[in-house]
Amino acid sequence: MGEQNKIKAHLEKYVVTYLFIALSILFIVTSGLDINYVASQLLLRLNRNAFIVLALIIPIIAGMGINFAITIGAMAAQIGLLLVISWGITGLPGILLAGLITLPLGSFFGFLIGKLLNKMKGQETIGSLILGYFANGAYQLLFLFIFGSVIPLNSNVTIVGASGVQNTLNLTGSVGLYTAVDSIAHIPFLLAVYLGCGVLAAASVIQFVRKAITAKRLAVGLIIAAVIAGIFSIPSIAAVVNGTHGRELKLPLVTWLLILGLCLFNSTIMRTRLGQKFRAVGQNQTVANASGIDVDRTRIIAIMISTVLAGWGQILFMQSEGIGTFQTYAAHEQVGLYAGAAILVGGASIDRATNLQALVGTFLFHSLFITAQSAASAMFGNSAVGEYFRAFLSYGVIAVALIMYAWRGAKQKKASQINLAEEAAKA
Amino acid sequence: MSEQNKETRSPRARIVSIVLFILAGILIISSVGGYALQMTQDSKNSLEEMKTQAVLHAASEGLINSIAQQARAEKLAELRKDKNFRKRGLDEVNAICDGAMNEARAEAERLYANPVVQDQTALNSAISSYERALAESSSMSEKERSVFAEIYVQLVDNTSDWRTIAGTDVDDDAVLRAMGETAPDLLKDENAHLQAGFVQLARDQAKAQQEREDAALETQLKSLLASEIPDWTAFAGLEADALWVKLCEEIPELKDEERFRDTLIQTAGEYIAATEKGEAVSAPAEAEEGSVTVAETQADYRYFTPSEALQKEESEESDSYEQLYSQLVAVIPDLGTLSDKLQTSLRENIEKVLWLEDDSFSARYSMYTANQATGGTWKMQLAAVAKPLMLAGTAVLLLGLVILFWKPLTERFGVPRTIIALFFIFLCLMAELYNISVRMMLGNVFERMTMYGVLVLAMMPGIQCGIGLNMGMTIGCISGLLGIVLALQFNMTGFPALLFACAAGTVVSLPLGWAYSKLLNRMKGNEMTISTYVGFSFVSLMCIGWMMLPFNNPKIVWLLSGKGLRVTHSLLGSFAHLLDNFLAFRIFGIKVPTGGLLFLGLCCLAIWLFSRSRLGIAMTAAGSNPRFAEASGINVNRMRTVGTVLSTIIAAMGIVIYSQAFGYAQLYTAPRQLGFIASSAILIGGATVSKAKVSHVLIGVFLFEGVLVFGQQIANSVVAGGGLSEVMRIMISNGIILYALTQSGGGRRG
Repeated sequence: MGEQNKIKAHLEKYVVTYLFIALSILFIVTSGLDINYVASQLLLRLNRNAFIVLALIIPIIAGMGINFAITIGAMAAQIGLLLVISWGITGLPGILLAGLITLPLGSFFGFLIGKLLNKMKGQETIGSLILGYFANGAYQLLFLFIFGSVIPLNSNVTIVGASGVQNTLNLTGSVGLYTAVDSIAHIPFLLAVYLGCGVLAAASVIQFVRKAITAKRLAVGLIIAAVIAGIFSIPSIAAVVNGTHGRELKLPLVTWLLILGLCLFNSTIMRTRLGQKFRAVGQNQTVANASGIDVDRTRIIAIMISTVLAGWGQILFMQSEGIGTFQTYAAHEQVGLYAGAAILVGGASIDRATNLQALVGTFLFHSLFITAQSAASAMFGNSAVGEYFRAFLSYGVIAVALIMYAWRGAKQKKASQINLAEEAAKA
Repeated sequence: MSEQNKETRSPRARIVSIVLFILAGILIISSVGGYALQMTQDSKNSLEEMKTQAVLHAASEGLINSIAQQARAEKLAELRKDKNFRKRGLDEVNAICDGAMNEARAEAERLYANPVVQDQTALNSAISSYERALAESSSMSEKERSVFAEIYVQLVDNTSDWRTIAGTDVDDDAVLRAMGETAPDLLKDENAHLQAGFVQLARDQAKAQQEREDAALETQLKSLLASEIPDWTAFAGLEADALWVKLCEEIPELKDEERFRDTLIQTAGEYIAATEKGEAVSAPAEAEEGSVTVAETQADYRYFTPSEALQKEESEESDSYEQLYSQLVAVIPDLGTLSDKLQTSLRENIEKVLWLEDDSFSARYSMYTANQATGGTWKMQLAAVAKPLMLAGTAVLLLGLVILFWKPLTERFGVPRTIIALFFIFLCLMAELYNISVRMMLGNVFERMTMYGVLVLAMMPGIQCGIGLNMGMTIGCISGLLGIVLALQFNMTGFPALLFACAAGTVVSLPLGWAYSKLLNRMKGNEMTISTYVGFSFVSLMCIGWMMLPFNNPKIVWLLSGKGLRVTHSLLGSFAHLLDNFLAFRIFGIKVPTGGLLFLGLCCLAIWLFSRSRLGIAMTAAGSNPRFAEASGINVNRMRTVGTVLSTIIAAMGIVIYSQAFGYAQLYTAPRQLGFIASSAILIGGATVSKAKVSHVLIGVFLFEGVLVFGQQIANSVVAGGGLSEVMRIMISNGIILYALTQSGGGRRG
């Protein structure tokens, strides 16, 4: 009975995720795309997007919902990138400098966002969305009228004969920012998988020896590692990734170290005092306030961290393989939407999220993204349907998550009211 | 705020406002002084003197420029003859030529810049007689041109199909008659001189329309090639004829489009080349993805012919110019050596100095000083800046008043409404300063009020019944759009089409709104977030819907594939501007869209009556205090359903009205932001997320559209290049929603 309930609860929680898994498989099959192509595209998109999606976790835990204002972090990063391009700093130093500029800018913006969101508690999701739109106006003001006139810029990034920044900036060639991080080192994907499984197995053993986990969990860890390694040892699957047919999949090492670093950061910070505060504020602000936590300050810190991280994520996105141009006035627009949808697809909700959910969500969301067009072409004879289906999925998954969250809240409220009524009746 | 705090704040505000009042007083008094100075005979005389100087300057400057240009050209020719010419860089050549030019200019300036006038009175009288003739012919020409422009705009705005009007087999009289149906003024006797021009216009438009449709078809055929043929390698190496035959085999539709054969073969060649290089075949963009913007139709004066009377005036003007010219030659004899082209430009320059649309003192003064006339005594300068001083004085005075009465003002009207209203007044003053016609812009504002009014009204029942800002009103909008395309599908026109679209929209929005309200009833406290995303999702879902729904009228589906609705549908020839033109009249040169305003008024009245009815009062009670309403026996959920459904239905009607005023119906992603626009308008009007009145709707829509229209015009004249007004729209619209959220937040966490 208990076991059954558990499964039911699990299914309820992850219904969106399972739906997306089913859809992904359906789409990959119907699209008729080469599996090697899908895999390489998927890897590319994971490299690009995972960091930004992971930046959403802390505000979720602090009870501030999906922080759609990460677009503002992306804007901060784009200001940094613009300055770096204008100053003509190339390669890794350029990227590092852009990241450095993003730090104070993002923190400052995050502080302002936090201040504002504190004034609209309970409406953070919609508030951050509209704040993102508002900031887009300020961003255009800055890039069209202030940069190039009040703030001097190199003439190769401004519009000829007018103030304002060009519509698209090139990152390749002499600008030298293209793949500045990605291309530092690559390792074959297969090797990365085996290494990962090895690390997982080793970590499980070490944790078991230190008595941090039970024997059951050790077994689970070891089995997962073995199964994954086993799957990729099957020649037909290995062939997809090792380049026997099509291109060999390679992992940009530094980018993934950064992504894993962020995962580690997310899980470590939750064990610190600050992390405890995030969790406490997220669970119940009144209780947190009563136990001496400065609720507003904690929320501001959560948003500041998220904004800066999103900015760095945007820099990683812009330099990544296959982008190459900086769409000055559009690059940030869909950041919040796609990241928010991705983390929700992974099974996160408005008040709960983990690293694994973020990564799985990114993987699933983008697997649909890649295949939707071809699949729609094959199913309806019209590729534009796929384009619209993608937009529908992004908005729809957020709507469903919001509805489920509100539903659960209403149910709990009702239950507690019934309890109160029963108690009152008893008394 | 505590008592003490109030007391410490008040005096500071008072001091600031007193300082501002003093400043305003100084500004206004000096402005009045300036106006008085304008009246004195002294300044009038010196203005006349400046005029003569300016004309002489325009003449001598023309000569000097021509001499300098000539010197440069001569130097260049000399250099070209030199053997070493090619070895010199471009910069060097430029430098040499510029040097020669500057030398010649300095010499010419020494000779001509200060011409000595022998017969001052003759020159003066020549100038004034030419000025008079110019003014007469110009004002007459302007009158005729405005008649022309009016007919032009009427025709172009209300004609959907030029090819039936002016096909190749239609003779000129028939073309005129057909155009006369849309623009009756054209057939009047006094406009006979314009008719030939308009016939030419119709023919050109018909041709352009044909070309546009061909171009669209060509793009579609190209993308058909890209999508229908998965593998181009089979086509590689074929001769043109064989390639065409094979293409026609693959895509039977091509057979009827023989005239695109060459371009398509070329495209196929490009695709084949791309495939061989291993690149993906990219089809050209099929649809215009962007939205159509409301652009004013501008008359094209190439089609304008002057009347006989005007021609006579113009010849008189030329005669008096000849006299002036001979006077000028008497002063500067070398003027006679100018080439014909420079002669014309000289005349244009003099015309510019003498014919000012706005012939106020300051406009003339600044024109003359721009032409180097010296008249810069402080009296003249003060007289010239009288108007800006007056405007600045008014602005400072208002600012002082607002600071003094900030508290009662904001308490009465709310902070955002006060700020936006002040901004609007500020924009009006700016418009006055930049000589932008406030009257014309008010006309625009009224037009846009009828466009957006009903959509904004849709927000009201939502707010009243307690669901807050109904961002999901896009559901209603889409129902209305569905009604419109249904009307188009059945080729309906005129009022029946408008009524049908409204009715069909209502019928569709009823069940949708009901289901939507059931959803929102379970989500109390989170309505705004949920409704936003439900609205977004529905818009995206319907994007697929527009593609897949079985519409088949060739006028509304993609030309070639014959399925899927197009993005933008022109309502010309159906019911575009129908309400706006109903009983419309012109007053003070602005068009009053009577029908649209009446309809908006009727809707407002209906809603106002509803909110006074039993049901309406119960609904408002359920929205403003659900617990109390529940206790007094009102079914809160039912009331919320009533409000939501009502809001959805009004939104459906609103988009129909909007589309008729706009002249186009836009599908796909176009309705996505409508909820935000309507929300910001009603909030600017003074509504909050829990309280709204009809007056909020009207004030809000007026202020919002007013600020946008004025802001756009002024931004265009202050900063070159667009964009600023769009930035302003984004920031005002979203800023006001954010403000409303901060006012409502905190207490509503459920």
